[in-house]
Amino acid sequence: MRHRKFLTSLLVVPALVLAACNGDDGNGGDEPALPEDDGGEEVDAAEGEEDEAPPAEGTLAEVQSRGVLNCGVNDAVPGFGFLTAEGEYEGFDVEFCRAVAAAVLGDADAVEYTALTAEARFTALQAREIDVLIRNTTWTASRDGGESGSFTTTTFYDGQGMMVRSDDDYGSLDDMQDTVVCTLSGTTTELNLESVFVARGLDYEPLTFEDNDTLREAFLAERCDGWTSDKSQLAAFRAEWPEDEGGPDALTILDETMSKEPLGPVTLDGDVEWFDAVRWAVIVTIQAWEFEIDSSNVEEFLDVDPEEDPEVARFLGVDEFDAGLGLDPDFAVNVIQQVGNYQEIYERTVGPETALGLDPGFNTLWTEGGLLYAPPYR
Amino acid sequence: MSDIGVPTEEYQPPPEEEPPVRAVSPGEWVRQNLFNTWYNSVITIVLAPAIGYLIFRVLRFVFVTARWEIVEVNLTNFMVGTFPRDELWRPWTAMAVLGLVVGLGLGVTARANTEVARIRGVRIGASWHENVRRAAPALLLLVALVVFVRTATPLVLLAGVVLLAVLGYYAGRRIPPGRRRWMHLAVLLGLAVSYVVMTQFDGVSLARWGGLMLTMFLAVGGIALAFPLGVLLALGRRSSFPAVRLVSVVYIELIRGVPLIALLFMGWLILPFLLPADFPTPGRTWRALIILIAFTAAYVAEIVRGGLQSISTGQYEAAQALGLPAWKTMRLIILPQALRNVIPAMVGQFISLFKDTSLVLIIGLLDLLAVARRVTQQPDFLGQGLHAETLIFVSFIYWVGSYWMSRESQRMEKRLGLGER
Repeated sequence: MRHRKFLTSLLVVPALVLAACNGDDGNGGDEPALPEDDGGEEVDAAEGEEDEAPPAEGTLAEVQSRGVLNCGVNDAVPGFGFLTAEGEYEGFDVEFCRAVAAAVLGDADAVEYTALTAEARFTALQAREIDVLIRNTTWTASRDGGESGSFTTTTFYDGQGMMVRSDDDYGSLDDMQDTVVCTLSGTTTELNLESVFVARGLDYEPLTFEDNDTLREAFLAERCDGWTSDKSQLAAFRAEWPEDEGGPDALTILDETMSKEPLGPVTLDGDVEWFDAVRWAVIVTIQAWEFEIDSSNVEEFLDVDPEEDPEVARFLGVDEFDAGLGLDPDFAVNVIQQVGNYQEIYERTVGPETALGLDPGFNTLWTEGGLLYAPPYR
Repeated sequence: MSDIGVPTEEYQPPPEEEPPVRAVSPGEWVRQNLFNTWYNSVITIVLAPAIGYLIFRVLRFVFVTARWEIVEVNLTNFMVGTFPRDELWRPWTAMAVLGLVVGLGLGVTARANTEVARIRGVRIGASWHENVRRAAPALLLLVALVVFVRTATPLVLLAGVVLLAVLGYYAGRRIPPGRRRWMHLAVLLGLAVSYVVMTQFDGVSLARWGGLMLTMFLAVGGIALAFPLGVLLALGRRSSFPAVRLVSVVYIELIRGVPLIALLFMGWLILPFLLPADFPTPGRTWRALIILIAFTAAYVAEIVRGGLQSISTGQYEAAQALGLPAWKTMRLIILPQALRNVIPAMVGQFISLFKDTSLVLIIGLLDLLAVARRVTQQPDFLGQGLHAETLIFVSFIYWVGSYWMSRESQRMEKRLGLGER
């Protein structure tokens, strides 16, 4: 008896496994085979995703039929993404989630936010948990390639800096021989720190942290001599340095910029239509600033005479000009009305009037010496 | 008319004699316990100032230096996370419904216990200070929340919920024994109604639940479903049918061999890779709940197996001799004893699950602990080192929950006579 039961079980288990496998195939019958994609974490993941993207329904159509944008954000970077007391996400990056939702869905509030850690952000994108990643992510070649992300455009030009205590008298990076430097793990800052210090022949000890809170505590406890991060973040923490620790003057951000840190929205490789939609949702905020259209005066511009000002008329979709982006002709109006132009977003979230008090630096129009340059809308 | 045998309604157990109380003056107590030998005196002298100073620092922080404004401002975040603020009537309604059915359930159970105690001739009814001690953690939490509430509306609503629970309790005590089986139905109905209120009719998707609400959803849902699944797995592992046994063993050993964080990550990120692109995957919150249930069930299964092994074969043989079929033997004889024997380990596992729910913050869910970490990044509180306040606040909530579970399990052990029979 026992033997027969055991044999039965030997037969039953594989049968169950087979049945399960067949079931999977049945569900995914019209899909290209997935398993090849799973292994290809490296460069070929990009091609794999391209094959996988269903031609009929891209992310744009998916988002529009879902009626909600899934946006991956940071909820622990002051000014860029944080949770308000009203239980809503706010910040510079969050504003661009809203801008994309306004452009694609016509409703800036139709966003479902997912707070992501630095390590999980690209995996979440690849797993399609999120449609777009706007989480102060630096545009690099390997992230564009290997991580199968596509950087749409830059929303914020940042640079990596080094913050030290003023009474330590470090005038420049070269003075920082044999020091301990704190940084966040899994970020480009960690890698830049290594290349810059190695290139200058400086010995140092890196101390990495999961989030800025613990890093700040470590710096406060003088466990490290330097704190390296994007200058925008350093400025934010410097501005709020406790008075009993000497206030902002107790800290100095060295003049050197250790790296270029262009931050911007990322979409998954292989969906050009969606990529374009996100990119142009950002670009119209810059173009609106250039046209000096903002959320308060956009109504007046809607009466523009196409003969008189064809560029603005085209931009606002007054003459029903459709650029073929898969968006409504007047999507720019939705973005400007509901979110605002770049300048408004900047000043509302990180500008000089806010707690962060960031100087715009390169984040101003090209006509004023900045790097914000919108391609023509025609 | 016999004066021995079945106790009648009028039967009152004879008053138990209180054990004699040895009066010890405080000075005597100190001498006996702290300074009874020379080395105990040394330890006391060294440690007393240190502990006293520590307690002083903690109390001074909590009551004097701590800036609790961050908790006051964010209290709603701590309770419900990013739940839309104009939909808050939904959680309140759900709480009222749940308060009512929980009160009802407690009332019915209390009456049943009283009757069982009376039949057994045990002294019934807890003294008032026992009841207060039993409710102390919940009362403490309530007081802490009330202190942090800044407007009147939540206080009124909270009082309403408590009132409903009390009304439910007294209604439950009046339900005659014959109608009691409807209680389970009422509790299930209450759960269903509160879920419908929360999510249906333009309700709020689970992805936006957060704070204590999410933590409780994961913990209660996890405990309620992991327990039966774990018992089934334990029985499966001891089954005489090899296929069932194999599946149970493989499941238990696989799940127990992987860290919970890895499982959570898998459920969140790997699952979509394994399933076809258009396959409807459940939302993040459901996936987290399923993983927590699957994980806890494997541990519960091993705990229950330990309990099953502690039952002597005599119990099986006696049940067989009475002619009970196998499943009745299990249900009526073996499981009640086995489960009673493993209450401490089981509750330990549930407490651990309650605290492990905080791991869901790594998969982007905003549970109680995640809120504590996030709110310090608000511009108003940025860079002021307020983690101590938020962490102490959520630790207190976790402690209340864990301590309450622990105390209730001890009460249950006592009631079931664990360690006495």
